[in-house]
Amino acid sequence: MHSKHGEEKLAFMLIAPYLVFFALATIYPVSYNLFLSFRRGGTLTLTNYAELVSDPTFPLILYNTLIWTVGSVVFQFIVGMGVALLLNEKFPGRRLFTALIITVPWAMPDVVAGISWRWMYSDVYGVINDILMKLRLISYPLPWLGDVNLARIAVIIANIWKGFPISALIYLSALKTVPDELYEAAKIDGASAWVRFKNVTLPLLGPIIKTTVMLTVIWTVNYFPLIYVMTGGGPANATDTLVTYAYRISFKFTNFNVGAAWATFTFLLMLAFAIVYTKTLIGG
Amino acid sequence: MRKIFLKVVACSLLVVLLLLAVPSINAQRPKILVYIGGHGGPGYEEWWRQLVTEFEQKYGIDVEYQIIGFEVYWDKLVAAFEAGTPPDVALADLGGWVPAFADKGWLEPLEKYLATWEGAKQIWPNLWEAVTYKGVRYGVPWYCDCRVLLYHKELFKKAGLDPNKPPRTWDELLECAKKLTDPKKGIYGYGVSGALSEITTLGYMIFLYGAGGRLLTPDYKKAAFNSPEGLEALKFYTELYTKYHVSPPGTPSYTEDDYRVMMAHGKIAMAIGGPWSFPLIEMENPAIKGKYATAAHPYKVHPATVYGGWAWVIAKASKHKDAAWKWIAFMDSYDVWKRWALKWKGPMPARIDVVFDVPFFLEDPLWKPIITMFPHAVARPPIPQWPQVSHVIQLMVQNVLTGKMTPEQALSWAAKEINKILAGGS
Repeated sequence: MHSKHGEEKLAFMLIAPYLVFFALATIYPVSYNLFLSFRRGGTLTLTNYAELVSDPTFPLILYNTLIWTVGSVVFQFIVGMGVALLLNEKFPGRRLFTALIITVPWAMPDVVAGISWRWMYSDVYGVINDILMKLRLISYPLPWLGDVNLARIAVIIANIWKGFPISALIYLSALKTVPDELYEAAKIDGASAWVRFKNVTLPLLGPIIKTTVMLTVIWTVNYFPLIYVMTGGGPANATDTLVTYAYRISFKFTNFNVGAAWATFTFLLMLAFAIVYTKTLIGG
Repeated sequence: MRKIFLKVVACSLLVVLLLLAVPSINAQRPKILVYIGGHGGPGYEEWWRQLVTEFEQKYGIDVEYQIIGFEVYWDKLVAAFEAGTPPDVALADLGGWVPAFADKGWLEPLEKYLATWEGAKQIWPNLWEAVTYKGVRYGVPWYCDCRVLLYHKELFKKAGLDPNKPPRTWDELLECAKKLTDPKKGIYGYGVSGALSEITTLGYMIFLYGAGGRLLTPDYKKAAFNSPEGLEALKFYTELYTKYHVSPPGTPSYTEDDYRVMMAHGKIAMAIGGPWSFPLIEMENPAIKGKYATAAHPYKVHPATVYGGWAWVIAKASKHKDAAWKWIAFMDSYDVWKRWALKWKGPMPARIDVVFDVPFFLEDPLWKPIITMFPHAVARPPIPQWPQVSHVIQLMVQNVLTGKMTPEQALSWAAKEINKILAGGS
């Protein structure tokens, strides 16, 4: 008993610096933001939240955030899982391939990635239009970032590219823990590759997938630089999400109180999502 | 033994005291922190160091300075002011920054310094509007520029147009742009700025004022562009893309910055630009040197343009305001400006005397239209709500470009939004 108590004490002491840092770096800004969001002209009020709810673009921003998040997360899961399965197979040059495919998008700074995608999407000499035209899939260059619907798709594609490596990396390390015997047994039973994936891989990876999806949802909602660099939220608000909108109100319009209300709203939304998701899918 | 020990202790104490005293003697020399936004680049680091050293020796004031990239400058400045730790002196963009900061109570009024400053009467008179808030001046214009038409002479020749006769009116602009456009080769006649950016607001303003309209009422209390002139300008500006297709398909995602790059590679024949474009377009493609030119932007009723530039401001929270003012007077002095202009051939000084004493500005064919247009240049309304107002104008243009609204609908929607913003106080 005594030694266990001592161990706990040591453990606490070891994480204490982190706790202090966490408090300073997270709790302080969150509570200050909360305080700002209720402040207006020297008093505490709900005006900032009233302005948020009555903003005519509010529904559109929510809709955009939903599309952006669902589109990014679903495809980051599919691409991430696909790449992980591929890299789990043995083939020559696998290590180099892994290093390249995983680190290039992920390690590239957000702003650099955003600018690169902007140029690749260009209808005057962008490489994407060029390839599509050479493949005869389109007969004239598409204004990827200049059209309301295309712009929504374009930023999601860029984000899938930017974000899939982290999913792939997590799934790949999870795949390594699946014992080969299980696959061999399934093979002997005559299970096809798809059945093996469905009945062996997926159930075993279940908990990891659920956690990863939750994390990617939160990251995607809060991910801001890519959209900011590529479209700034345009055209005509088509790619404006909760965070690009909040950023503009705070830092472009210097309306810090209303901006704080938007940030707090986003925070509460994510908190609610995390609680519901954890309770229903991960099972507390 | 003990005596020696005491002596050693006494001596070391003395040394420590002396060391402590040195900084306190030094502290009597004021030290100012200067934020320089967006004026780095090759060679400039050394140039700023020379100027700072010269200033320090001349006035006995220490200067700590930071050169900050334009992309992050606004955020950094706002964060510093908001946190209560602003620089003593900073550069602020003439595009509405000064009134926005003054409204927050962040800036020191400069009238008492300006009253006795020799340079005050040398500043281009139209520049003062951009640094005035509620009748009080909070900034000193430092350099300025205005937007003009940038065009590709070789593309003009290839299209059978005279490269020395750029379009002067809207009709000529459209006619030239149609002749220059060749979508099969990916060449477009005129680049309409349509992205979510201040540049789009400026593009619309140049057409609006060129049609004889104005953005806001003279007291800045209401929208004034919801007029026949304003509609005509919005229609013509957007139809260049939606109807005549002389601007590329990606127009709602482009600004003049993108068009400058395209022009460097012979893909855009005409776009709005300014003196900052010259080094950038030549950096993009050195072969374009001498193959592009500038002219007054085409107009409907009379030539018009919008100016930009930078002003020096002093933080209200500064403890060394007099020292900060000396820095401004030094940087905006005839002597420093003349050396600057002769060495760097730009930007355009906010001082008229320097512009006319340095022969370069009126002799250089690229600079001449800028200097001659400058007296016609208007300010962006100096109101703290400018970023919101500008954002609505951008959305108005985007809504028409993307077909979500007709010009009539977009114009009345934008006027209503802007009137709401202007009535909202703060």
